[in-house]
Amino acid sequence: MPGDVAKLLNALALMAVDTVLALAFVDQLWFSDLPCPLCILQRAGLTAAGFGLALNVIFGPKPSHYGMTILGAAVGGAISIRQILDHIVPGTGSYGNAIFGLHLYTWAFIAFALMIIGSAIMLLDDRQFSRAEPMWSRLRPLPVTAVATFILLAIGNVISTVLLCGAGFCPETPGGYLIFNDNLRVTMFAGAL
Amino acid sequence: MMSLPFLLFACGLGAAWLRQRAAAMGFWVAGLVVLLVLFRMNMSDVLNIAL
Repeated sequence: MPGDVAKLLNALALMAVDTVLALAFVDQLWFSDLPCPLCILQRAGLTAAGFGLALNVIFGPKPSHYGMTILGAAVGGAISIRQILDHIVPGTGSYGNAIFGLHLYTWAFIAFALMIIGSAIMLLDDRQFSRAEPMWSRLRPLPVTAVATFILLAIGNVISTVLLCGAGFCPETPGGYLIFNDNLRVTMFAGAL
Repeated sequence: MMSLPFLLFACGLGAAWLRQRAAAMGFWVAGLVVLLVLFRMNMSDVLNIAL
């Protein structure tokens, strides 16, 4: 496949990652389903995996970028598996709302698995790497939108996590935004230790 | 502290936007290492999956 087609496919995949991260924000802000520490780390894993896709869009497809996506998805997948195992024994409950019968951490694992499989499939085609082209000058609205949205979502997660957890670790079951209550000083002190 | 991976990834994306590929990849590696450390620190308890 030509490099431009590969770049377009990466932009579409990045839009899908953007959608997942945006839906996590909708769940957090609209339904007041505050993320647990592992949920936040899974968002970070999704950002790490999407990073490789963004580099493919900006600099053109390279095997190292697909490797970054696979590694990021593997780390994110490990985190989501840990959370699935936390609740796999009957009677141990669950965390957050279920969407179409599955909780967000299960959907996250499916997303990470799809990213690894998709990257591996894309790596099978060598023709996309055959010529170096000035990708940046040929960016079209969709890739620019995908990358810009991804950057905004990463910045949004920085702000959201600071509001939720302060400067330290997040509580296991967050009851509110720590930055808005008196526990912030304690949290910051704990984080410094 | 939990926002550190996002901050590093955001810096990396900013570097990529400015066409600094090496810096972008450096920020990504740092972000991934911090993510793994935070995962380890959050998961210090033993997993209980005994039936």
